[in-house]
Amino acid sequence: MSNSVPEIEDTKLVFVFGYNAADSHPIVARRIVRAKEKGAKIITVDPRRTEAARISDLWLPITNGSNMALVNAFAHVLIEEDLYDKDYVARYTEGFDAYWDIVKTYSPEKTYKTHGVEPELVRKAMRMYAAAPDAFILYGMGVTQFGQAVDVVKGLSGLALLTGNFGRPNVGIGPVRGQNNVQGTCDVGVLPNIFPGYQPVTDPKVREKFAKAWNVPSLPDKVGYMLTAIPHLVHEGKLKAFYIFGEDPAQTDPDLGGVREALQNLELVIVQDIFMNKTALFADVILPATAWGEHDGVYSSCDRGFQRMRKAVEPKGDVKPDWEIFSLMATAMGYPMQYNNTKEIWDEMRELSPLYLGATYEKMEQQGGVQWPCPEPDHPGTPYLYKGNKFDTPSGKGLLFAAEWRPPLERTDADYPLVLSTVREVGHYSCRTMTGNCPTLKTLADEPGYIQINSVDAAKYGIANEALLWISSRRGRVLTRAQITDRANPGHVYMTYQWWIGACNELTLEHVDPISKTPEYKYCAVKVEAIPDQLRAERYLHEEYAKLKHKLSSPVK
Amino acid sequence: MEKSTLTVCPYCGAGCHINLVTENGKIVRAEGAPGRTNESQLCLKGMYGWEYLNDTKALSPRLKKPLIRNSRQDDFREASWDEAIKFASSRLMAIKEKYGPDAIMATGSARGPGNEANYVMQKLVRAVIGTNNIDHCARI
Repeated sequence: MSNSVPEIEDTKLVFVFGYNAADSHPIVARRIVRAKEKGAKIITVDPRRTEAARISDLWLPITNGSNMALVNAFAHVLIEEDLYDKDYVARYTEGFDAYWDIVKTYSPEKTYKTHGVEPELVRKAMRMYAAAPDAFILYGMGVTQFGQAVDVVKGLSGLALLTGNFGRPNVGIGPVRGQNNVQGTCDVGVLPNIFPGYQPVTDPKVREKFAKAWNVPSLPDKVGYMLTAIPHLVHEGKLKAFYIFGEDPAQTDPDLGGVREALQNLELVIVQDIFMNKTALFADVILPATAWGEHDGVYSSCDRGFQRMRKAVEPKGDVKPDWEIFSLMATAMGYPMQYNNTKEIWDEMRELSPLYLGATYEKMEQQGGVQWPCPEPDHPGTPYLYKGNKFDTPSGKGLLFAAEWRPPLERTDADYPLVLSTVREVGHYSCRTMTGNCPTLKTLADEPGYIQINSVDAAKYGIANEALLWISSRRGRVLTRAQITDRANPGHVYMTYQWWIGACNELTLEHVDPISKTPEYKYCAVKVEAIPDQLRAERYLHEEYAKLKHKLSSPVK
Repeated sequence: MEKSTLTVCPYCGAGCHINLVTENGKIVRAEGAPGRTNESQLCLKGMYGWEYLNDTKALSPRLKKPLIRNSRQDDFREASWDEAIKFASSRLMAIKEKYGPDAIMATGSARGPGNEANYVMQKLVRAVIGTNNIDHCARI
C-alpha cells in the first residue's frame, strides 16, 4: 500500500474497486465505515452488491471481466471533462500523450456494452473522485485475479496520478493483502527475481554483496520459476523436486487436476507444515513445524509494517521452528548454518537490506511496529510513500499507463452458461487447515461450503435455498450448497476456496496474467445442476467428508 | 495464574495486535490489543482463530513427528529428526547432482512462519541449492 490503514478513515473519498473488505478484512472495513461517518464519500465498483456497495454514495455494478475497459473510461472522463490536475500531471508524471492515445477511444458511452455501467454513472463517479480534496483507492483480488491484472493496477495508479492523489497522508492506492504475511514474504526475497529488500538477482553488485555475506563463491544470476508455472515445468521434465513450505497447492491452486498430476510426477516432494493437508498426501517426507502462537518472529502488515509476533505456548509434539529445520537441511547439505534465535536472523537480513536497516527489534518493541522504508537507525519508518511526489522510476516521475482491454479467456456457452468467480468469506480462511480446526469458527460454516447464486438463476435451474447441487466446468465437478442471494448478479455465481469437498479450484483454470502470473480465479465458465434426491446427496456429502478426514488422519498416529 | 502475550494475528494482512491469554500453558482467550491498524478491535478470526493450537482434530490432525516413506505406494512411517533430515537432504542433493539446481523448486510461506523463517528458506535455496526457483502464494 502506498499509504497506511489508519489513513483510510481520514480521507475524503474512498474508492473501492474489486475489494470486499467486509468479508476479507473486517477490521479494514471498519475504517471505511468510519470514513463515511466522518463525512467521506464512498464509491464502489463491484459486480456484487457487497457491504461496501450497500453503504456507498455510488455503486457501479461492473460486468465481470471488464476492469480495464472501465478504468480506461474513468481516465477518459477525467481528461475529456478537464477534471484532472494539470499542474500535478505536468510536474510529476510522464507518458501523458501515449496514455491519452489509448484512453481517448474509451468514452463511457462507447465502452458501455463492455463494462455495463451506465455512462452517466461513470461520469458522475469521476466528477466526485476528482472533486475530493483527498481520495484513497482500495483494491483487492477483484483486480488482481484476472488474466489482465497488472495493467489494471497500473490503470488505477493512473487515476490517482491524474488527480494528484499521491505523496501525502490519506491518499494513494492500497491493495489490502489477503494473507497475514504475503507482504513480508515478498519483503524478505521469497520471489524468483529478488533478494531481500527488493534487490534484483540480476544485479551483479547485489549478488556479490549477498555472496560475500553468505560466504559462497557466487549466487545464481538467472531469474527463477514462478509458482503457477509448475504443472507445465513438471510436464516438460524441467522440474524434479518441490520443497513445499507452509502452502497447500492441492487445495489453493487453480485446476487441481493439473496440480495433482504434477505432484504425482515429481521425483521428490518435501512438505513442511503444521497440519496434515491435501498436498502432504503426495509427499515423500513431511517435516512438522511449530505454529503461530508457538514461535517468535516478525510479520509485515499490508501497509509495510514490521510487527513482532511472539510465542505464547509450548509446542506439542516433536516439532521445530521452520528456520531451525532449514538450518539442519543446509548443514546436512554441506553448508553449516546455525542461528540461536529469530533476532539473529532478522539482524543479518536487516544489515543486507538498505530499505530495512533501521527497523530493529528494539524499535518494533518501542513503537509497536516499523513501516518500511526505514533506512537509518534513527529513522521512525514511513507511513506513506512518494513524499514530494518522487516515484520509484528512473526519472522519479509517475508513469501514466494504459492498455487495451482484453476479455477473460474462457467464455460461457450453451454447455457452460454461467460465470464462476471465487471469493472470500468471513469465518474461514485459505486452505482452512487453521480455521477448520477451530470449533467456534466451524460453527459458522462447514462442508461443502456455499455457492452464491442470484434468485433468477436459481429459479431457472430449479435450485432451492440451502439445497445441495452439482457445479461443473470443463475441468471438474464438485458438490456445493446453494445460497440464493440477490447480492450476486444474474449469470454469475460465487464460491469461496476453503472447502475440501466443495473445492472450487477443481473448476478454475490455469490462465494467468502475463506479468504477475496470477491465475484468472475470477472468471471461468460453469454449469449448475439441481439434485432431485437431496437426502441421498446429504448422505453422500457426509460419507465423502468422513473419508477425506480419515485419509488425512491415518498417516498421523 | 493468567499470563498475557502480545502478538500479531496470523490471518489477513491487516496486522491486528492480539493479547493471547494463557493459563497453565494453555490459551484460554484472545483479546484485542491497541495496535496501529486495529486499535483493540478484532474480527471473528482474531477472536477464535487460536483454537487450532489445542489440536482439536476438528478437521485434520496436527503433525507431531517427521514422516517419511520410500515409495509413494507405501504408508508413511514416523522417523527421528536425524533420519528425516538425512532422507530429505540426500534426496535433494541427488536430484541436484543428476539434473542441476534448477530442477528444484521451493516455496516460502505467507502464513504463520514469519519473515525470519522465509529469509532462511530463500538463503537455503539460493546459497545452498544454488537456484532462484523460490516463490510463494502472493500470486495465487
